[in-house]
Amino acid sequence: MNRIAIALWNPIVAKEYRSRMRTWRSPLAMTIYILLLGGVGWAIFSSTASSARNSFNGAQAANYGQVLFLWLILFQMVLLAFITPALTAGAVSSERERQTIDLLFVTKLPAFSILWGKLLASMSFVILLLLLSVPIFSLVFLFGGIELDQVLIAFLVTAVAALTLGIIGLACSTAFKRTLPATVSAYGAAFILLAGSLLFGLLFPTDINPNATKAPAPPAVTYLSPILPLVVIGMNAPVTGYGIRNGVYNMAQGGGMACSAGPNGAQSCYMTTVPIGKGAVGQPFNPPQPIGTTIPSGLFSGWQYWQATITMQLVISLLALILSALLLPPIRHLPWRRRARVVA
Amino acid sequence: MIAVEGLTKLYGGRTALDHVSFEVPKGEIFGFVGPNGAGKTTTLRILAALLEPTAGRALVDGADVTEHPDLVHERLGYMPDFFGVYDQLTAGEYLDFYAACYRQPKARRKKIADDLLELVGLTDRRDQAVDTLSRGLKQRLCLARALVHDPAVLLLDEPASGLDPRARVEMREILKELQTMGKTIIISSHILPELTELCTMIGIIDQGRMRATGPVQEVIRQLTTGRRLRITVLGQKEEAAAVLKPLPAVHEVVTVNGAIEAHYDGDDAAAAGILQALTAAGIKVSGFSQLEGGLEDAFMKATSEDI
Repeated sequence: MNRIAIALWNPIVAKEYRSRMRTWRSPLAMTIYILLLGGVGWAIFSSTASSARNSFNGAQAANYGQVLFLWLILFQMVLLAFITPALTAGAVSSERERQTIDLLFVTKLPAFSILWGKLLASMSFVILLLLLSVPIFSLVFLFGGIELDQVLIAFLVTAVAALTLGIIGLACSTAFKRTLPATVSAYGAAFILLAGSLLFGLLFPTDINPNATKAPAPPAVTYLSPILPLVVIGMNAPVTGYGIRNGVYNMAQGGGMACSAGPNGAQSCYMTTVPIGKGAVGQPFNPPQPIGTTIPSGLFSGWQYWQATITMQLVISLLALILSALLLPPIRHLPWRRRARVVA
Repeated sequence: MIAVEGLTKLYGGRTALDHVSFEVPKGEIFGFVGPNGAGKTTTLRILAALLEPTAGRALVDGADVTEHPDLVHERLGYMPDFFGVYDQLTAGEYLDFYAACYRQPKARRKKIADDLLELVGLTDRRDQAVDTLSRGLKQRLCLARALVHDPAVLLLDEPASGLDPRARVEMREILKELQTMGKTIIISSHILPELTELCTMIGIIDQGRMRATGPVQEVIRQLTTGRRLRITVLGQKEEAAAVLKPLPAVHEVVTVNGAIEAHYDGDDAAAAGILQALTAAGIKVSGFSQLEGGLEDAFMKATSEDI
């Protein structure tokens, strides 16, 4: 077996599979997961079906498909945000608490292999949950309005977000000796990733520059959250009313700009009192509008929202994994520590 | 095989190990003795490359524990004093898992597990869940786990603690068998008589300092001032005591469990002289033996005062 195969498939994965799948907890977790997701799907399906019974037409049905998909994919993301940290936050700390970690350290498995095995085993369970949800997601194709590539990209975004949460959980589990603080911090990190980054967009939005030639976009931090790309994918349209400061521009000087949302995500803005730049009082002023599902300006200008999200999340995952691999070994060969030891 | 030089470990301001040095040649069983908190586990954890020393160095089969922990792990098997087992695994799967962690080929793993289960007498427990095994059986399984990669060195931290007398005897027999297989073993224990019987070398540690180290009898001789004889006679105890007390080599005569114990200074010739004096006085001696097991005395002496 070559080195890559050894790294990918190490004994910890097989052991974790055995331990996990021999308990009643895993089947129970899968059942609850499917019931919750199916329940939400059924509730939306029922409500849309009863609405459609009276006034059915193709356009409405497509809209129902979008709504159902959007609800399901967002609910699935929230469910996984609860499940994934629980899978990995105890991965290393529980070995410490059970006094089995030393027995692993004295084997020939490098620290990275231990982490990788734990991660692979946990993520396999997440992938299993995602696969289990596929039949429920197939409901959206009854209505139409959602293409297969939208579903695949949304699943990719969800899987990468779950991977990121898993690796952050693993890093917390490595950094903290006890499972409880590791779990609390992993959930804290999950909240920051999902909701905190979105909150950042609300608290510190991008000001609209009337002289700009490109449409405004929310701050780059907000792309950390998988919610934004999932909404963009689900709606198949840019998010226009989020992360951008409307109507408050230059208010200190008594001026401002008011915007109103138009159909199909378009936005119409006009200067209110003081002319700024090319604008004139009371005249319609239309800054460039976001078109399609790409980020119109900023750090990730021209990227799809989901591309920016998974790039940022993978960078965070990589850093968290490197940090974990440095923290885990009982004797850490860190260059600055070695120097200190020689001096001592 | 194992060399420890000036090993020092500080935890904050507390000194856990203070320039500990000793050597264990190949094939020896080294008994590591000391009161609780003396530094035994710290030393063994440093030797297992699980803890970094503050100063000094330790070599296992030539590999430095700080510089090459991977080589050290390849060459030694470690059994900690406290350890856990995984739920939902059978004894056979448990050994198979660790054999895989030591990169043993898959084709060999079943044989390794079978052989080791037989060595520690757990063949009939192969399919039993490890978390349902008794403490004694878990200890034996953990010893088998430490052997899955056939290491040259074994570090056993209190392997007999918490075991009933029968399990202790069984553990001792297994260790003797491992010695015949050529393993170098370091064993820490509180049960001194067992160490005397099992170990070829001994190290006494107290408050982080090595008080004495060397072959067992040599350490006992270094630390105890006299030797003891157990003498049984046919109904002439008073007469025998009257003969023994004036002898210049004998400095104390006591009766223990119906036998006479004579404390004396000198070598085997002095003991022969004592026997000769008894028989010359017409005492019917039915038993005459040197009392071994002076390790307890040596231990008490070593840990009660600075040497």
